[in-house]
Amino acid sequence: MSKYILRRLMLMIPVLIGVTFLVYFIISLTPGDPAAMILGNGATEEAVVQLREDMGLNDPVIVQYGNYMKDLFTGDMGTSYSTGKAVSGEIGQRFPNTFKLTVSAIILSVLISIPIGVVSATRQYSLFDNVGMIVALVGISMPSFWVGLILIIAFSLNLGWFPSGGMDGIMSLILPAFTLAIASTASITRTTRSSMLEVIRQDYIDTAKAKGVSANVVIRKHALKNALIPAITVIGLEFGVLLGGAVLTETVFSWPGIGRLMVESIQRKDTPMVLGCIIVFAVAFSLVNLLIDILYSFIDPRIKANYK
Amino acid sequence: MSAKVETLSAEELLKTKKRSQSADVWKRLKRSKTAVLGIVLIAMFLGMALFAPVIADYEGEALKLNVKERLEGPSANHIFGTDEFGRDIFARVVYGTRISLFVGIISVSIALSIGGFLGAIAGYYGGKIDNAIMRVLDVILAVPTILLAITIVASLGASMMNLMIAVGISNIPGFARIVRASVLSVKDQEFIEAAKAIGAKDHIIIMKHVLPNSMAPIIVYATLKVATAIMATASLSFIGLGVQPPTPEWGSMLAGGRAYIRDQMYIVMYPGLAIVLTVLSLNLIGDGLRDALDPKLK
Amino acid sequence: MSERVLDINDLIVQYHTDEGIVEAVNGITINLDRGRTLGLVGETGAGKTTTARSIMRLIQSPPGKMTQGSIHLNGKDIMAASEKELEKIRGAQVSMIFQDPMTALNPVITVGDQIAEAILIHQKVSQDQANVKAKEMLEMVGIPGARLNEYPHQFSGGMKQRVIIAIALSCSPQLLIADEPTTALDVTIQAQVLELMKELKDKFNMAMIMITHDLGVVAEVCDDVAIMYAGRVVEQGNLDDIFRRTKHPYTEGLFNSIPNIDDRKAELIPIKGLMSDPYNLPEGCSFCDRCNYAMSICKTKRPEKVHFSETHFVECHLYSENPEFQLKG
Repeated sequence: MSKYILRRLMLMIPVLIGVTFLVYFIISLTPGDPAAMILGNGATEEAVVQLREDMGLNDPVIVQYGNYMKDLFTGDMGTSYSTGKAVSGEIGQRFPNTFKLTVSAIILSVLISIPIGVVSATRQYSLFDNVGMIVALVGISMPSFWVGLILIIAFSLNLGWFPSGGMDGIMSLILPAFTLAIASTASITRTTRSSMLEVIRQDYIDTAKAKGVSANVVIRKHALKNALIPAITVIGLEFGVLLGGAVLTETVFSWPGIGRLMVESIQRKDTPMVLGCIIVFAVAFSLVNLLIDILYSFIDPRIKANYK
Repeated sequence: MSAKVETLSAEELLKTKKRSQSADVWKRLKRSKTAVLGIVLIAMFLGMALFAPVIADYEGEALKLNVKERLEGPSANHIFGTDEFGRDIFARVVYGTRISLFVGIISVSIALSIGGFLGAIAGYYGGKIDNAIMRVLDVILAVPTILLAITIVASLGASMMNLMIAVGISNIPGFARIVRASVLSVKDQEFIEAAKAIGAKDHIIIMKHVLPNSMAPIIVYATLKVATAIMATASLSFIGLGVQPPTPEWGSMLAGGRAYIRDQMYIVMYPGLAIVLTVLSLNLIGDGLRDALDPKLK
Repeated sequence: MSERVLDINDLIVQYHTDEGIVEAVNGITINLDRGRTLGLVGETGAGKTTTARSIMRLIQSPPGKMTQGSIHLNGKDIMAASEKELEKIRGAQVSMIFQDPMTALNPVITVGDQIAEAILIHQKVSQDQANVKAKEMLEMVGIPGARLNEYPHQFSGGMKQRVIIAIALSCSPQLLIADEPTTALDVTIQAQVLELMKELKDKFNMAMIMITHDLGVVAEVCDDVAIMYAGRVVEQGNLDDIFRRTKHPYTEGLFNSIPNIDDRKAELIPIKGLMSDPYNLPEGCSFCDRCNYAMSICKTKRPEKVHFSETHFVECHLYSENPEFQLKG
């Protein structure tokens, strides 16, 4: 079992290195002179040239990348162009906030979507099913930032139940978490339903019924576990979407997470910060996928067998 | 009385088979009420995009700053009201359709052609080529799609062109995967072996035999991806990384109207609804197509 | 002393679909005593599986409807029973083995648990006791008891079928329904599984319904045979009756379709045509269009039962007038 985990971790590393290379390369295409930007308009020509030299900006991109990676392994993500402080410090401070938000959202999603998906499948074509599926379809069609704004208008400005922004206690978590959760809930519900429908048609469900297993137990014990297998993959993918969505939701709700940090850094042309944020996002996403794979192997004995 | 029996050539037989297959799919698609709704909606949006100049005046209504009439609620003159610069929101929504649909379709086309090409090669040749391509795509996939698009646009600079490139590139792995899967399932079938046996060249085989038979899931996927591309466009424009003002784009309209949601919520309501309905219609069609193309359902 | 285990009387089962009504079972009457094996023979679509599933009321309820007739299992009225009562009966008084062993076992539950589950539902025992019994059942079907905690994918097709048999027999049912249990298996494995079933049937003194389209299997295992066509039993008798005194043209056709190992040069004589459209069964005898002996009355009037002995009857117009009629063979 641990061999499996180890193997997957080992495979993750080259991918993440690839990610850093890809992202570094893309960001290096940004036009403009960071040195001039840092020193501002009043700087002398020499000061700018000197700063460029000190920052290593005259080296070829590959060398700069190499230096960056060297520092990265010691946890140093460079210094922010705008604050002059360590990037890792800033990110370290803000990341837990994003984590809080996305984890709340995914838990909310899973708690709502799996029961609805299961019930829709077992009552296929009923009113519940039809309405549910239409609602789900609408759910994945709504942009999260719009949903956020609408929720703010309704529940914050008009009803005054929740604050319209900032991070200040659990009340301020609810609207953004819901906003983030809507699209992923819809998606996971649809997947759960369709995989449940597939599973119910399987022969082993007939075998269970022929043994005298009651209908509820058939669903809970025989069908659900099998149906969850594809659903779990979607949950992992949805987490990736959530991470992306966090950027937008944090902006709408002024939530102090790394999503909003990334957007602000882009506007301020603070390249090291942007780079740092992306890498953290990629690592988080990869870890979640790893977790999902491990979960997978626990549920489906056929996978475990491949790695004995 | 004898009936004249016509023998059709193999070509003609194949053509009639294809024709009746698509007619069959169309028939099944029509059966789904939701898919039909989707088609009607998207037709409406396409109409708006094509006939925009007839519906509203670009210079005069969508772009012209008209401070005197700013922040007016919906009225007979301005059925969706006016925004913070006095521009007619309805006109802006109508012209925004052009941008959304254009960017959506172009970026998916980019993703489909490059990703499809890579996926077809990987699937058809297998082995090291397959491995290499998939490893590279895995790297791209490790970054959540929107974030990658944001990074690309942030680096290249915010413009509609870069937006299309960014959304296109971030969708390449998805298309590569689905084309590869399709190719894998078709390439081991016997008629491919037959084609090889008579010496047909690889690229001919891929284009004439493999791809046409794997179209179905790709079409469904492409439809759904246009929906997400439109969503991505709006998202990127919302955070200022897409189409630049004053060009009317639904996402940036929402960004602009954000400060006024307390009293003038119609500024965000209508562009938002436009996004929802466009994306919804494409999702409905994609779903309907998937069901219509699925041989297992009747 | 034999007991009547199963009594099916004039059963009619239909499927109401968008494309019309499928008349799957059209008036079947079957009875079975303890210790006897009835072979239910017929082509795909004859209604054999539907009949079998009706016994346990496992017909999918839309679109299936048991519109007429009665079924009594050990004297209990199945049509009137509640779902709860049926759950008690399934697996305990009657068990069913489905066709494809590869897909009949739940891939994420251990083999032992799947057997023990049946025991736990129907008997008041602890989990440990159920596990012990499950192990015994595995041994009984020829699988080492140590494999209790393995998963289905770790077994071959033939062994999976044995596990399924173990599950079916774990609570000693009075009736075992086997739906083409060996069709999906290799011939050598087939023989083993049939041997096993015969052994266990005798051991438990069960009644068994063997659904098959293979007359060889019938000869091996069955005491009585019912030949089904288009939802009706067209001929029924004991093994001797059917094999040596074949009466129905369809039965004759089935025998003629078997290649003759002694005469390899002989032409195969298939039954011409295809089974009638179940959405639209003809007025008269369903076999009429394919029958070599068809008469004009066959088109319009449904044949009635003609009895040759206590055990043997046929539904065919050939014998209504002339009970002495001989098929050409």
